[in-house]
Amino acid sequence: MSFRTLGAVCALSLGIAGAALAEYPERPINMVIPYGAGGATDISARTIAEPLGAAVGKPLVMANVTGAGGATGSVAVQNAKEDGYTMLFARVGSHSVNPAMKATLPYTLDDFRFVTVYEINPFACVVSATSDLMSMEDVLAAAKGDGLSFSSSGVGSGPHLAAAMVLNAFGLEDAANAATHIPQQGGGAAATAVLNGTADFLCTNSSALASFVANGQMRALMVTTAEPVEGFDAPTATSLGHPELEQMVGWTGIAGPAGLPDEVADKWGEWMTAAAADEEFVSSMEARGSIIRVMSPEEANEFIRAQYDTFRKLVDDLGMRIEG
Amino acid sequence: MTQRQVQLRLGGGALIVAAFLALFAIPQWVSSPSNVGNIVLSPLFWPYALAGFTGLTGLGLIFSGLQMQGTDEPVNDPIEDTGAAWLRLAAMAVLMGLTMFLLPRLGMVLTSMLVFVASAFLVRTRHPITAIVCAVIVPLVLYAFFAHVAGVAIPQGEFLRLP
Amino acid sequence: MSFLDSIAAGLSLVGNIEAFLALFVGVAIGVVGGAIPGMSATMAVALTLPFTFAMQPITGILLLLGVYKGGIFGGSIPAILIKTPGTPASSATILDGYPMAEKGEAGRALGMALWASCTADVISNLALILFAGWLASFALSFGPPEFFTLILFSLTIIAGVSGESLLRGALSALLGLLLATIGLDLVYGTNRFTFGDPNMMGGLNFIAVLIGLFAIPEILAMVWHPTAHVGKTRSLGKNWVSFADYRRSFKSIVRGSFIGVFLGSIPGIGAAPSAFLSYSEARRTSKNKENFGKGEIEGVAASEAGNNGVAGATLIPLLALGVPGDVITAIIIGAFMIHGLQPGPMMFILNVDIIYGLFIGLIVSSVFLFMIGSVAIRGFKYVADIPKRILIPAVLVLCIYGVFAVNNNIFDVGVMFAMGWVGYLMVRYHIPAAPFLIAFILGPLLEDNFRQSMLMSGSDPTILVRGPITWFFWTLTLLTIVAIARAGVRAVKNNPLLSGRSGP
Repeated sequence: MSFRTLGAVCALSLGIAGAALAEYPERPINMVIPYGAGGATDISARTIAEPLGAAVGKPLVMANVTGAGGATGSVAVQNAKEDGYTMLFARVGSHSVNPAMKATLPYTLDDFRFVTVYEINPFACVVSATSDLMSMEDVLAAAKGDGLSFSSSGVGSGPHLAAAMVLNAFGLEDAANAATHIPQQGGGAAATAVLNGTADFLCTNSSALASFVANGQMRALMVTTAEPVEGFDAPTATSLGHPELEQMVGWTGIAGPAGLPDEVADKWGEWMTAAAADEEFVSSMEARGSIIRVMSPEEANEFIRAQYDTFRKLVDDLGMRIEG
Repeated sequence: MTQRQVQLRLGGGALIVAAFLALFAIPQWVSSPSNVGNIVLSPLFWPYALAGFTGLTGLGLIFSGLQMQGTDEPVNDPIEDTGAAWLRLAAMAVLMGLTMFLLPRLGMVLTSMLVFVASAFLVRTRHPITAIVCAVIVPLVLYAFFAHVAGVAIPQGEFLRLP
Repeated sequence: MSFLDSIAAGLSLVGNIEAFLALFVGVAIGVVGGAIPGMSATMAVALTLPFTFAMQPITGILLLLGVYKGGIFGGSIPAILIKTPGTPASSATILDGYPMAEKGEAGRALGMALWASCTADVISNLALILFAGWLASFALSFGPPEFFTLILFSLTIIAGVSGESLLRGALSALLGLLLATIGLDLVYGTNRFTFGDPNMMGGLNFIAVLIGLFAIPEILAMVWHPTAHVGKTRSLGKNWVSFADYRRSFKSIVRGSFIGVFLGSIPGIGAAPSAFLSYSEARRTSKNKENFGKGEIEGVAASEAGNNGVAGATLIPLLALGVPGDVITAIIIGAFMIHGLQPGPMMFILNVDIIYGLFIGLIVSSVFLFMIGSVAIRGFKYVADIPKRILIPAVLVLCIYGVFAVNNNIFDVGVMFAMGWVGYLMVRYHIPAAPFLIAFILGPLLEDNFRQSMLMSGSDPTILVRGPITWFFWTLTLLTIVAIARAGVRAVKNNPLLSGRSGP
């Protein structure tokens, strides 16, 4: 390629870029998934990509950027240009538990602008099917007596906070230290730890546990939603007298960098409404135990803020904040 | 470099690394919460253990190096012009640094074209024309594959945006 | 339902052209994807996943399994031809495969890789079909203390891949262990050597380290001495793998397959350690011990048997327990769930047709692998004929693309470059790279499982000897260390370097 042609190509592409700025989107949009392939966020993101791509009219390029409990991918979007061409699939772990627990996290909620939350995952608390803990009362008794251990997918992950929150709500004093936390590398390992007896107890996304419960390998003791969850023969937190645990739900949403223009956010609002109307999307998400609830940008911000505040207070009360 | 020198230098290097880790790097860059219950659970335990083992290995290397009787045979094949070789290595290092700088700015395709040409001439290729042709084609083909078949978001430049 | 009924049910499910076509296409995608460094088997499977949404469950899953199996073999092609492992699992193949290619025996190495892979594949599939239930319950008895002792034992393979000096091997391993500490601490979530950089918090990307350590030093060596290769034969060569080669390596292949089956059935270890363990066992028992690392065909056979032996066995925890053994099987579990299937003990009762359909598909996949692999080797052989000083820049560009694609992160390209210089220094100082890699994989597992054990027991060290499995591995570890020490003493006595005669 001679320099003249190179120059011509450059000028041409600049010209195109300049002319088309008016209409967003004029090229494919990068969607960062801050967790690994095959995980709950990944599957959720790739399921919505189909109807969403149709609504957007331009391809959505999915990019898994994993590491540090979702922080690496989140930072990539935090630092991206605020033009709406780099968006993030935000998750309960990366955007409400992590900011609440980790003092050294390189971002806060203010660094992002949420355009939607589209999926809610109930949390369920389980023990191994061979365990002699039959109810939440037994779990509490064990925690106060012989000792109780719980697994999680890592320090500062959803399951870590969830177990502490549940035990605290049921009246265990100093819940963060009274029960032994045995962190694992990832959600699959956390479930395996309960199966092989490394840990007694686990609270996590119902979708991650559904197959173990259906296969009779695990026993569900509680779910955190107001309504019972299909496939989980367990009481709700509300029926056990702890409606405050309804805050402990997983969610997936879409966010951009903080300075995202209003037009872009509005566009996303429209696209999400269109995408969530897709029958196939709804049925395949519901088959995995998720509840589809599309929030407007304002609702989404409010929802995440409220959850963050609850978690932050709990973390401070229990002394779980990770400094350093 | 003879085998004996290799062994002694490695031993010395290992000792320096161990001392650096134990005295500076670990206290400085590994943070540990104040409420650690047991020493073996501390985040510091494993790095300190590794620093200790590195020191021991260093001592072992020096000891075994001293035991070796010196043979003069060098361990690496000699080459003709050492000065030029060092220059080429330095140029490669600069090229790598430049790559990191240019990747987000020029995009991956243009940067790799540059990298291809530069490294081909750095190794004094006998086929300069082929090298230039390949330098244009290989990055484009890889781009087409990774971006369109594998669906990877290959970084695009500010000047050239490929479909 | 009797065994025959189950087979008939399975056959009726997969006995159609789509299922076999999906499997065939899957193996082909896998071989090509695995052969592209950075693409790796994992990414090939992840990319194929969305296409399975619209298929019949069994067809979709067979497609993914085909990609998985093909990918694990495909990784050995660039490992042998350009010293860049296509997937982490094929890094052990480099040790002897690349020297063989340098000697002009690339065709023989690739052929052996294929034969060993297919043999191991068959053994692994049979193990899955015959012993799934038994191996799964065994896998469940592996808690952190058992894991800790297993990893400790696996670290002794470092001695087997250290080459000329055990101390330098140890140094290499320690370097790997140290670099593996970068990232967030497992138990407290605090930073270790991250310098506040979010890219470092996730730890160094394994594939970036791997490619940096093997491929980049080759490029730097070329830059240092551009004409070193002139005059050496470096083409695929006429020679193909012979049946005599296969027979000679057969014992190592079978041993490697069983190592693969064993390590594959335990969730969380993966194919790379298995390949290294198989390699070091083959070297330890071989008559040609001296030739290992210099282009010994049995080394290629053992490594490839070790990693393909894992491929069928990782389905044991997946199908029998619903537990993913590694990233690839995690994606495959996702595919099951998308189709409303819930792998686990109940699946053997509720969906017995699917289970047996999968078994039949797996058996057939080994045949497909053999066919497609043979074609692929012939297709890729031209790589060996490219002039080396055109090939090297192309490899560099390929590595940049590939490493970026793994995690969509430019930082990883920098990690690869930095590791390249580390690797080149190691080459210059004759430090073997394999121990570094093994330690880099196993180090975090060792530390995590140790600390999890301590958490379980409240810091009581007796948990590390809590049951027969731990005793078994402690004994094995001790025996190996004694053997290494004795070999070391003998080496000191006979070593020409230490007795004043000139070195090799």
